[in-house]
Formats: sequence, C-alpha cells, structure tokens
Amino acid sequence: MSPLDSTTPAGPTRQEDVITDPSGAGSLPRPIEIGSRRGQPAAGRQALQDIALRIASIVALLFIWWLLSLIFPPTLIPKPWETFAEVGAIIGAGDLFFEMGNTLRRVGVGFGLAMAVSIPLGIFMGTMRSLESFFEPPVVLGLTMPGLIWAVLAIMFFGLTETSAYAAVAITIMPMLTISLWQGTKSIDKDLIDMSKVFHASPWSKVVDVIMPQLISHILAAIRYGLGLAWKVVVVVEMFGFSNGVGYRVVRGFNTFSMKTVLAWTITFLVVMIVIEFGMIGWLERTVTRWRPRVEAWRR
Amino acid sequence: MAYVRVDQAVKFFPREDGSQMLVLNGVSFETKEHGITCLLGPSGCGKSTLLNVISGLERLDRGQIEFRVSGSNPKLENRNPKLGYVFQDPRLLNWKRVEGNLTFALKGMRIPRAEWERRLGKYLELVGLLEFRQQYPLYLSGGMRQRVGLARGLVIEPEVLLMDEPFSKLDQLTARKLREDALQICARLRQTALLVTHDVEEAAYMGERIVVFSARPAHIIEVVDNPLAPSDRNFDDLHFIQFKKKLLNTVLKLIDQEVRV
Ligand SMILES: Nc1ncnc2c1ncn2[C@@H]1O[C@H](COP(=O)(O)OP(=O)(O)O)[C@@H](O)[C@H]1O
Ligand SMILES: [Mg+2]
Repeated sequence: MSPLDSTTPAGPTRQEDVITDPSGAGSLPRPIEIGSRRGQPAAGRQALQDIALRIASIVALLFIWWLLSLIFPPTLIPKPWETFAEVGAIIGAGDLFFEMGNTLRRVGVGFGLAMAVSIPLGIFMGTMRSLESFFEPPVVLGLTMPGLIWAVLAIMFFGLTETSAYAAVAITIMPMLTISLWQGTKSIDKDLIDMSKVFHASPWSKVVDVIMPQLISHILAAIRYGLGLAWKVVVVVEMFGFSNGVGYRVVRGFNTFSMKTVLAWTITFLVVMIVIEFGMIGWLERTVTRWRPRVEAWRR
Repeated sequence: MAYVRVDQAVKFFPREDGSQMLVLNGVSFETKEHGITCLLGPSGCGKSTLLNVISGLERLDRGQIEFRVSGSNPKLENRNPKLGYVFQDPRLLNWKRVEGNLTFALKGMRIPRAEWERRLGKYLELVGLLEFRQQYPLYLSGGMRQRVGLARGLVIEPEVLLMDEPFSKLDQLTARKLREDALQICARLRQTALLVTHDVEEAAYMGERIVVFSARPAHIIEVVDNPLAPSDRNFDDLHFIQFKKKLLNTVLKLIDQEVRV
C-alpha cells in the first residue's frame, strides 16, 4: 500500500508530547529552601503553613501596636480595638462607600486618561524614530517630577474642582506608563509582524492580535506601579481643600487631632488598595496570561 | 493552483557601512505545478530572501516573479495569488489557542466565516492535531507546534505554499516523521509548494524538482527532477538511496566547479 492511500498521518505520540495542561497549572513558585534536609511536606500542609505564617505576622504587628499603646497616651497611639471600632463606625455610617467611591473615581478617571494617552504614545515612540527623539525629553523630565508638585500645579490651574484631581493623577503616572509601553514596544518580535503581513492581517488585527498581547505584561507592571503613585497624589489633592474623599477625612482627623480617625481611615484605605492590587489586578494578570505555562523554577 | 516563475531575480542588501551586498545574482527557474519544488543551497546563500520576495515581504531590485497556471498557452495568474507560509520556528501567536492561530490566518485572508469550521476540522485533522485545537501552543511539543504552523499555511488553501526550512530545528526522529506527513499531505492535496532546505536528503525526499543554488551571491547551478513518485520515496529504499547519492554528488561536483571558477 502506498503512503498516499493510507488515512490521515498519525500525529506524534499524543500524551507524552503534551507538556502540561493549562487547567492544571497552578501553585505559586516556591522559594528555594537552602539546606533543607527534610522531605517535602505535602502540598496541602505547605499551604496551611504559609497561611499560618501570614496570620502570625499580622498578629505580631497588632501585638507591637498594643504594646506601644500601653506606653504612649491614647491621643498619640490609640488602642487597636478602639481603632477597629472606629473603622466599624465608618462602615456602619455609610461614610466609607461615599468617601472611598469619590477617591476611587478620581484615581480611575485619572488612570483612564493616562492610559488613553500613554498607550498610543508609547507604541508610537517604540516604532517611530522621530517621535522617540521628540518625546523622550518631556517623558524623562516628567518621570522625575514629584507628584506633590503636580498636585499643587493642578489645583492652581483648575481650582478646587474634580478636573484638578483627574489631571494631577493622570499627569503624574503618564511618564511612567509611557516609558514602559515605549520600551515594551521596542522588544516586540519582528518575525511575528512579518508573519502577520504574510497572512494579510488588517492593521486592527495587527494591533489587537499581535502587538498588544506582547505588551500586556508591561502594561500590567505599569498599572501596578502607577496605582501606587496615583493613590499618593489623589490623597494629597483631596487634602488641599476638597470636601470629600479619603484624603479629606484624614485631614479632618488631623484638624481635630484625632489619631483614631486618621488611623481608621488609613487602615480602610490600605485594605481597599490591597484588595484592588492583589485581588483585581492579580486576577486580571492570571486571566490574560493563561496561555503561558507557569514558571516553576523553585520547584524541586 | 498556480506555479511560480522566477526570472532573472536580482536583490541587494545594504551593508552596515552603506555599501551594497549582492544576494540574488540573476536567479531564474520554474517550479512544478501540483508538487513540491525544493530550493537546495548552503546557509546564507539567499534562499529565505527569495521566499520573502515571492511572498511580498521584500522587493526585487531587478527581474520578476510570475504566478502562472498551465494550459495550452500558459496564462498569467492574478498578481496576488493566495500564498501560505510555514516558517522555520513556527512563529505562532502563543496567546492564541491552536484554532485561534488558524483563524488569525483565515481572518487575514478574508475567508468567509461560514467556511472556517469546515476548514479548521479538515486541516487540523490532516496534520493530526484535531484533539488539540483548544490547546495553547506553549503546552505543545516542538514538532506539534510546527504542525500547527503547517496547518496555518494550508488552511487558507493557498495557491502556492512556501516553506522555509520547516524541519531544521526539530530533532531527527520528529523531523523525519514530519517530512513523511508533510509529503503525504501535499501529495494528497496536489499542493504547489516551495520548500527551502540545506539538507540534500530532505530535498531528495520532498522534491518533485530540486533547484540547486550556489553560495552567495546566489544563482541556479542545476535543476534536477526527481525520478521517484512521492509514494515510491522511502528513506530505506535502494532506489531512493541511489538518487540521494546522485544528487549529493551533483551538488558536490557543482560546488567544486564553482569554487574553481
Ligand atoms: N534584511 C536584511 N538586511 C541585510 N542583510 C540581510 C537581510 N536579510 C538577509 N540578509 C543577508 O542576506 C544573506 C542571505 O540571507 P538568507 O536569505 O536568510 O539566507 P538563507 O536563507 O539561504 O540561509 C545573508 O548573508 C544575510 O545576512
Ligand atoms: Mg534561511
């Protein structure tokens, strides 16, 4: 029988060729345990141990706080539980959602503006020599500018309006976002661009299917770092004389010299930030990088 | 399906210092229609450049490329025939599933959406990857990724399929299996194809016609037609081994003459 008569060519030996299954991908890389002679604990036990250690760390921090509150007067360091009662009161009064909502909206709008400018600008700078030379000085200059100064300038320019908050956030993170996109674009695989040309991909398809996916990790890193900058600036702007937002509440606590209020707002703010940072952005990252096998360099 | 006629192709590349480097030095040949034509030549002689010219990624400085269909008087095919391309390292979009990589090509070539499902099924089955259509490329072995690249080249049902050393990065056993499968698939589809290689055995096995290139600047030093039908080529068969030896000797002798001239 000639090979032409036979049916479909058999694929390679199936199971061995599949390295892993994406759905089965999971656990975080483990740190190297130098000098560890013990056998590897079962995965479940290991996970429990990790959680226990994290809880222990938080308990230790609370304990130190409590010790300090014994030494200093309550006007300087309030008791932990009194502070948490204040947090409860803030939530109970419905203030939290109102103030946090205002602050988050300012960060969100500022961020959106910055992305809308920085993503195309960064891509153009990475692909066109002349634009790169032209925009490099302002971008580098902008990177060294303290957010506090942008906040002052924005309020002087726009007055105590929402616009000044949006502008201050946007302009503070713009240089950093632009730089990551610009550098990311330069590292794009030219061979894939050639491939997309050979198959006559439309300009839109080139951007969406070929270029953006290669930039996604740069964008995520920039978002992480940018959020850190954005929170700081927005709180400063709110402190200057806004009548709502987390920054305003903190300043009000400062004016009445209520350490409890200042700490309570700070703690709620931190919790919300951490949820956004690790919860939402972490989720986003896992979703958009599902195609990539997990690096498990530390697995033994 | 069409065949390709390359006529007096000349191509320069600028060097770093601004001078011109001659890469293609008046290359002329015709490919087979409905069969694989192998471009055999040493590394760096300009084979990939020629494929890039044929696919439109690069422009010729002189000469021309024609796509023709045979008939009583050979008539010129449309200027932009559909071309499939299979790359050396498969150049897949790793963030798209296997089927997503194929639909990327279908979308680019404006194939009607109603056709997609049938084509995906047909060509993934041909390369033996039907059950992996939902998989991401980085979870596949090198040989399987190359199969995805082959399926992507075929799924647009190209008039000419261009392949640039598609097996050269694979281990020997995987490469051999893939050569067998690719030859069989092309024969079954009666696919016109151009396969670039620097491997004499691969050329003898895959090519209806073997076009032998000189070292850079490239010109054609010999065109050999394969006396064996695709179904009669077998790596262990005596006739095949004889043909392979003859081809090897031809190439060696010609390269020898080249050097002396
Ligand atoms: N874009 C380019 N610019 C300048 N030189 C190039 C370019 N592409 C290829 N070359 C040079 O042209 C020659 C032929 O390259 P190539 O066609 O890739 O060879 P082959 O595929 O036969 O190994 C090589 O010397 C290579 O360095
Ligand atoms: Mg090459």
